[in-house]
Amino acid sequence: MIMVRLQCKAEILKILRNPYFVFWSLVMPIVFYFIFTRIVNANAPDEKLWQAHYLMSMTTFSVMGSAMMTLGLRMVQERTQGWSTFMKVTPLPDSIYFLAQMTAQTMIHLFSIIVIFIAGMLINGVSLAPQEWIMCGFWILLGSAPFLAIGTLVGAMQKVETAAGVTNILYLLLALAGGLWMPLEMLPDMMQAVGKWLPSYSLGNGAWEIIRGNFPEGKNVVILLTYFVLFMLLSKYVRRKQEAV
Amino acid sequence: MSDMLCVQDVTKRFKDKTAVDQVSFSVQKGEIAAILGPNGAGKSTIISMILGLLQPTAGTVQIFQQPPQNRKVREKTGVMLQDVNLMPGTKARELLNLVRHYYPAPLSMKTLSDLTGLSSKDLQTRTEKLSGGQKRRLGFALALSGDPELLILDEPSAGIDVTSRKRFWETIGYMAEQGKTVMFSTHYLQEAEEAAERILLFHHGKLAADGPPEAIKKRVVKQAVTFRVRADVSFSHWEGFSFIQSVRRRQDRIYIETSDTDRTLELLFEEETGAYDIQVENGKLEAAFEQLTSAERGAVL
Ligand SMILES: Nc1ncnc2c1ncn2[C@@H]1O[C@H](COP(=O)(O)OP(=O)(O)OP(=O)(O)O)[C@@H](O)[C@H]1O
Ligand SMILES: [Mg+2]
Repeated sequence: MIMVRLQCKAEILKILRNPYFVFWSLVMPIVFYFIFTRIVNANAPDEKLWQAHYLMSMTTFSVMGSAMMTLGLRMVQERTQGWSTFMKVTPLPDSIYFLAQMTAQTMIHLFSIIVIFIAGMLINGVSLAPQEWIMCGFWILLGSAPFLAIGTLVGAMQKVETAAGVTNILYLLLALAGGLWMPLEMLPDMMQAVGKWLPSYSLGNGAWEIIRGNFPEGKNVVILLTYFVLFMLLSKYVRRKQEAV
Repeated sequence: MSDMLCVQDVTKRFKDKTAVDQVSFSVQKGEIAAILGPNGAGKSTIISMILGLLQPTAGTVQIFQQPPQNRKVREKTGVMLQDVNLMPGTKARELLNLVRHYYPAPLSMKTLSDLTGLSSKDLQTRTEKLSGGQKRRLGFALALSGDPELLILDEPSAGIDVTSRKRFWETIGYMAEQGKTVMFSTHYLQEAEEAAERILLFHHGKLAADGPPEAIKKRVVKQAVTFRVRADVSFSHWEGFSFIQSVRRRQDRIYIETSDTDRTLELLFEEETGAYDIQVENGKLEAAFEQLTSAERGAVL
């Protein structure tokens, strides 16, 4: 339907024009990648593997961020600024609006993944088998679902400032404790124990397994699914409560 | 004729505040009706309920004989909210084009920019960079985009300059010629009088009056001459003058309600009444609202 296509297109343009998205989801991960694979010496025993490993970390970092922040903050912004109120008085069904937003978000993730993968090839000449690239891409794309659910939860917050503050902290904590900035093994024992249960670790770990020629662990899938269901239910509940006015 | 819009015994309470109190009215096809009232009268609240954005505490709202949330209703209704808000990160043209596609038979971009005076430069601008007035123009264009049969506009003329305002009312007039139904809210009696053929006067959440502008104006804009005078001077014969509506005595003050304060003053001196402490009250709308509604209350008692 033309309605869905146009709506998607508008949503995508809107995201790409947002300087926060470009900075947090494209510039930051690539700069980090450059620093930790080229400037700071990680003393990795297998340098090629480390370069591919860290590329997956940064891609995960990027997609996780835009799922939570871009989606969540935009929802808060559109609500506080009244655009969502206007949408309610137009004939566009809520379902199409939601579908378009999610599709746009997924396309944006795909775009980020491709850009960062290419950056990895250019910066370090990372080379993986074609099916490994594809599997990693799909894994990160699908695995971002729990973070989208967190995004819709953030989207239920009242103020843009609070929402931005909360997600920023959550984002950085999840990234750090999930072993996306540095391998989990380099963190204190206690953090490692907690980190293994975080969705960020599970998402990253799936991709790290793939580049090592394995499949994502079953545990990763289960954890991601659990978080997804949990946050979806929570988000539904919060929304229901807000609508009761 | 069938009602375009039917509001029946609608009440909205926010916690302990009654924002809209037992309001009923209906609007016919082709009517242009103004909701007139001061700040906090309940204009936006009644409009939100008409649009199905708020659920009435009691009563029902029907548009085209259907509940307002109905998609068929949405397709035939154009809306401009009090705070025009636009999708950020989108150019005016993109947004307008997007919203046009929500409707089965939209107006063309050209017609829309002609009707609202959006320039092609405005259309190339991102919504967050438009000025307040340009935003409202775009908001109006969005309201018109689906070629609606019913237009509902909450304070459409607020924050736009004289030229744009003129153009806006011309467009409303044009819509009326096309047989569209228009309902808008305003603070200004003059605006309501000029643009509408019917005024719904709101005050403290109640529908204080409903009728053609002339009738409302007569009731609302009351001028009065008040003064003090010796207790034995009588004014009862004054009620016979055509420009005097009523004469009342409250304690030691006389209140003369009049449509012509100059002639009343002349009369006052001609008859050597010995009136002193004379005040002329030139019917402020606020004060008149108060008066009107307290009079209504008096009538009920
Ligand atoms: N969500 C709300 N919660 C509590 N009170 C509300 C809410 N919305 C409106 N009110 C109250 O209801 C009354 C009517 O408000 P409303 O916005 O309908 O007035 P209005 O006539 O549109 O005023 P204005 O001319 O300033 O736009 C006000 O006293 C307001 O404080
Ligand atoms: Mg209002």
